Amino acid sequence: MLALISTILAQLTGDGEAGLSAIGAGLGYGLAAIGPGVGIGIVVGNAITAMARQPESAGVARTTMFLGIAFTEALALIGFVVFILLLP
Amino acid sequence: MSKRLWAAAAVVVAAVALSASAASAAETVGSCILDEIAAAEFEGIEGDGFTAAKNLKTAYEAKVEGAEELKKDFEKDLEGCLEAPNPIIPEVTEIIWGGAAFIVLLALMKWKLFPVVKNLMEQRTQRIQDAIDDADRQRAEAAEVKANYEAELADAKAEAARIVDEAREQAGAVRADLQARAEADIAEMRERAAADVEASKRQAIADLQSEVSDIALGAAEAVLGRSLEDPEMQRQLVDDYIASVGAGQD
Amino acid sequence: MNVFALDFPPVSQLFNWPDFLFTDTPVALNKTGLIYIAALLLTAGLFWAAGRRRSLVPTGAQTVAEAGIDFVENSIIMQTIGPDGRRYLPFLTTLFFFVFFSNIFEVVPFIQFPANSRMAIPLALALVVWAIYHVVGIRAQGFYHYFKGALFPPGVPKALYILVAPIELLQILLIRPLSLAIRLWANMVAGHLLLVTFAVLSAALWGTLYVPAVLPFAALILLTAFEIFVSALQAFIFTILTAVYIGGSLHPEH
Repeated sequence: MLALISTILAQLTGDGEAGLSAIGAGLGYGLAAIGPGVGIGIVVGNAITAMARQPESAGVARTTMFLGIAFTEALALIGFVVFILLLP
Repeated sequence: MSKRLWAAAAVVVAAVALSASAASAAETVGSCILDEIAAAEFEGIEGDGFTAAKNLKTAYEAKVEGAEELKKDFEKDLEGCLEAPNPIIPEVTEIIWGGAAFIVLLALMKWKLFPVVKNLMEQRTQRIQDAIDDADRQRAEAAEVKANYEAELADAKAEAARIVDEAREQAGAVRADLQARAEADIAEMRERAAADVEASKRQAIADLQSEVSDIALGAAEAVLGRSLEDPEMQRQLVDDYIASVGAGQD
Repeated sequence: MNVFALDFPPVSQLFNWPDFLFTDTPVALNKTGLIYIAALLLTAGLFWAAGRRRSLVPTGAQTVAEAGIDFVENSIIMQTIGPDGRRYLPFLTTLFFFVFFSNIFEVVPFIQFPANSRMAIPLALALVVWAIYHVVGIRAQGFYHYFKGALFPPGVPKALYILVAPIELLQILLIRPLSLAIRLWANMVAGHLLLVTFAVLSAALWGTLYVPAVLPFAALILLTAFEIFVSALQAFIFTILTAVYIGGSLHPEH
């Protein structure tokens, strides 16, 4: 019975296409995460340098750091959305 | 936290948990496909449900006419089970519930709940500020009182010193005065005494002179016996004599 | 979907909940709607409890509510808008707590679903924020000056305006609300997927090999803690971005 269902499913999803779109989704998300990963690293690293140099303005630096992370992260999240949309 | 709040939270949690179990019992892709197959019926194919599906498969493999069409229709039905709504597309009912919840919350917060808490915080801030101000004021007052007291103390000390000085001065003046007066008295007494002595001396001399002259006169009278009739001449004689004696003595 | 011969539920099924009340009407209620109502009740209850007891030294609910207000006022409004942003304190506090409570159900046992992993509230709130910062900008600067300041930021060479103005227009009309909504939504979806993945993995390994199940389970515990942090962080970022947009509309760049 389960075998029947899985064969039907396999036929329905049309193996080749589904596989390709899964590969595309995975690759797309992986590629989309590279830039923001580097970007967030730069943002946080510089924010820490700023905080270490001027501990009295750490509050402002932290707020701005979170803003920068949020903006950079948006790119990765768009990649994630594409990933979700492409999943079979 | 109040009991009523706990009760409300418990009701909410129970409701959500119930809905979770209801959802977990919901249809999955597999059960959907099973239901679909169980209800399968095909024109020209024998049986219904799983038998019909099996017969359709054999018919399709045997390339029976019309079987391909039937299979395609069946596949479309089954695909319906896979077609879940895209997760990025919002659901209207959820927007309505969520939006209503947020608007109700915003209204409640803006006009009822938030001002109370904020006022509470501001009152406390004000209270603490007042207390600090009050303490500052009291400290300033105390400092002022202390300064006044110290100034008064210094005044009093100066006054005391002044009084002592004055007294000392006065005492000095009095002493000088007394001393001067005493010296003056003494000098006066001494002068008077000296004058007295002088006067007494002079008196004594005078007395003595007259006495001596009387005695000498008497003695001479006694000796001469009334030889010198004229007393006035006698006296003159004696005085001259005494004067010559006195001059000789000096 | 089969992953390592594990029966992994399809992604859409992790987020779609059947209606159980008023089914087939526009006000059909499902688990997501219930979580929103729970977030409403929790926030309202928190502030009601905080306002009821008037002790000098705050305890319990009062501490949480006052710390929240203080945080929104000093760490968000003062850093981004300035003192004239205090008008928006009730709105931003409500936003923060509502988003946070909707998120935190991700890790509450037996519920374990972040309501913001449905696109409903992120999108609705993003549209509200979109409307608010436009209205604030037009009221503070006037229609002409607001859009001129937004589309033609000063300090850019004149020739570049051909490039900058359309991008800025797209930015304030489309990219800002969409990125706001997608940021919150995608973070919550990703978090929920992570937790589900490790939970399914733990369950499957426990059913077959027993001992190795310890590893995904440990990861699950760590991720649960991480998701608590993410819930708070996303609420904070949603609120601070709202404040940044409002501040940008209120004070034109010089």
